[in-house]
Amino acid sequence: MDIFSGLMLGFATATTFSNFIYCFFGVLLGTAVGVLPGVGAIATISMLLPFTFGLPVDTALIMLAGIFYGTQYGGSTTAILMNLPGEASSVVTTLDGHEMAKQGRAGRALAAAAIGSFFAGTVGTLFIVIAAPLLASFALTFGPTEYFSLIVLGLVTSMVLTSGSLLTAFGMALFGMLLGMIGTDVNSGAARYTFGSPNLLDGLNFVVVATGIFGLGDVLANLETERTRSAGVAAVKGLFPSREDWKRMSGPIVRGTGLGVLLGVLPGAGLLLASFSSYALEKKLSRHPEEFGKGAIEGVAGPEAANNAAAQTSFIPMLTLGLPGTATMALMIGALIIQGVQPGPDILTQQPALFWGLVVSMWIGNLMLLILNLPLVGMWAKLISVPYRFLFPMICVFTTIGVYSINNSVFDVYMMALFGLLGYFFRKVGAEPAPLILALILGPMAEEYLRRTLMLSHGDASVFFTSPLSLGTLIVAAVLLLSIVSPRFRRVREEGLQEAD
Amino acid sequence: MKISQDTALGGLFAVIGGIALLMAVQYPFGSAGRMGPGFFPVIIATLLGLTGIAILVRARLAASEEITSARWLPLLIVPGAVALFGLLVEKLGLPLAVMLLTVGAATASVGFQLSWKATAGAAAFSAVCALVFVKLLGLPIPIAGSWLPALGV
Repeated sequence: MDIFSGLMLGFATATTFSNFIYCFFGVLLGTAVGVLPGVGAIATISMLLPFTFGLPVDTALIMLAGIFYGTQYGGSTTAILMNLPGEASSVVTTLDGHEMAKQGRAGRALAAAAIGSFFAGTVGTLFIVIAAPLLASFALTFGPTEYFSLIVLGLVTSMVLTSGSLLTAFGMALFGMLLGMIGTDVNSGAARYTFGSPNLLDGLNFVVVATGIFGLGDVLANLETERTRSAGVAAVKGLFPSREDWKRMSGPIVRGTGLGVLLGVLPGAGLLLASFSSYALEKKLSRHPEEFGKGAIEGVAGPEAANNAAAQTSFIPMLTLGLPGTATMALMIGALIIQGVQPGPDILTQQPALFWGLVVSMWIGNLMLLILNLPLVGMWAKLISVPYRFLFPMICVFTTIGVYSINNSVFDVYMMALFGLLGYFFRKVGAEPAPLILALILGPMAEEYLRRTLMLSHGDASVFFTSPLSLGTLIVAAVLLLSIVSPRFRRVREEGLQEAD
Repeated sequence: MKISQDTALGGLFAVIGGIALLMAVQYPFGSAGRMGPGFFPVIIATLLGLTGIAILVRARLAASEEITSARWLPLLIVPGAVALFGLLVEKLGLPLAVMLLTVGAATASVGFQLSWKATAGAAAFSAVCALVFVKLLGLPIPIAGSWLPALGV
């Protein structure tokens, strides 16, 4: 199917009445929950997951994607108005965005973020249209060897790009893989690490673990510092950027989009990397770098564009290879599997309406967000100022109902409570959970691909170095690991990621 | 007793890696060409245990931050309220279970006080949840649980 007829099919799918409406609900709910301080993208998606259960697959996926980028938009609103980043990638936005808000330019900061994101979303969608079919047809030639190496690269990238020590991140990834082994071994049928419990035979549900660690874990961590939470929300006025603003932000938006589109495809933490590198780039290129950190509009527009472009293109490895690049994409795969869809290179040929409908709906969703967000920003600001003591019981309720409704399983609810405590513990000891979450979904895949590779090669592991693609992937992974030892990169990483905490 | 971050995390990894290894050696290992169900777990568990030990060594060599906690109570209350929901949702039905979870979790807040307004708010919230999730979204969760008829409601 060529791109044009694909897009036509996509438009036909995305503009059916119900898909259009659910896309709208998705972005609306995503923004509404995304603006709540202390609720990150993963918690938002898992809280809103039950809303998609009763829907047909394409509608559910369209709504989920809407929730996903609605969350991104909402997160930047909170970052600008309250100086509270919902997740690491919007930390950069707080630097200049909140400064602008303090100077009474909150409206223009929000507009810069929204316009930058919309432009980036449009370009990102176009990039998916061109790159995804290419990558998918290329991926059909991948064997288990290549997949295994790609998984190794993804895990290494996520370890290198998390804050804290590499050793800690390595341990978290291994722990995640171990959790992924719980259940029946697909190959031999042996029950592993089930402790005799029939509830564990199907394995730990990915969504349960992610919701516990991120959703409930966040609540527990926030409650401890409840007294010290700041509650000041900046007032919003003057939404329209001046001519001067336009002039200053158009360059950063275009450059940020370019960076984000490319970095988003990388496995690991593309979003974070994209917004940080865009900020650094703009600061370097700017004629007045001293304004950065004191309310430079370039420092909002560039990283926001980069962040959103990367958010769009991070769908590419998820959809075409079935390999999630970020913890959020891992959750999307978890949601797709609940819907009975297995992402991978066949998705384009076997379910073209699903793929193209999703791509087109992403663009429509971005347009909706632009139209929806700027006029409604006053309402979002009110939502932000709801005190945490009213919010967190509701978060508990939504996450619990969400987890329970996956399988109507009470056991899953207990598991979520347990992983909530574990998530709190990880925060206390300074271990970031992203590698664990990624490894939980990549671990079982890694085992299966390793098994197949070694079976084909009769136990000879040298095939990983004789297949050119696999060798190249492993070299990139090795370079990444070595770069962390180099003092120069190490300093940059520590500075960059320190701010993310 | 003060425990440093690295001691706690390294200890957890070492213990879990050790237990996982002990369990993994009981699964058939197979060979590289025919990986059994024990092959991958043995490798990963060994690596996790070693990583844990390495983190423990690092904790001895350089002092990492100590774990401090201002409030322990929410750690019991919030997961407890969630578990209570799990225990009671099929017995009491969704609205009552939501009500218990909302109020139960809310007691963990420093600003918690029993008031008419908040209780009414929680009740309204529970009713809305039941409407949205069961009636609107059609999730198969009972509105009135199995205990209610027994209680004569």
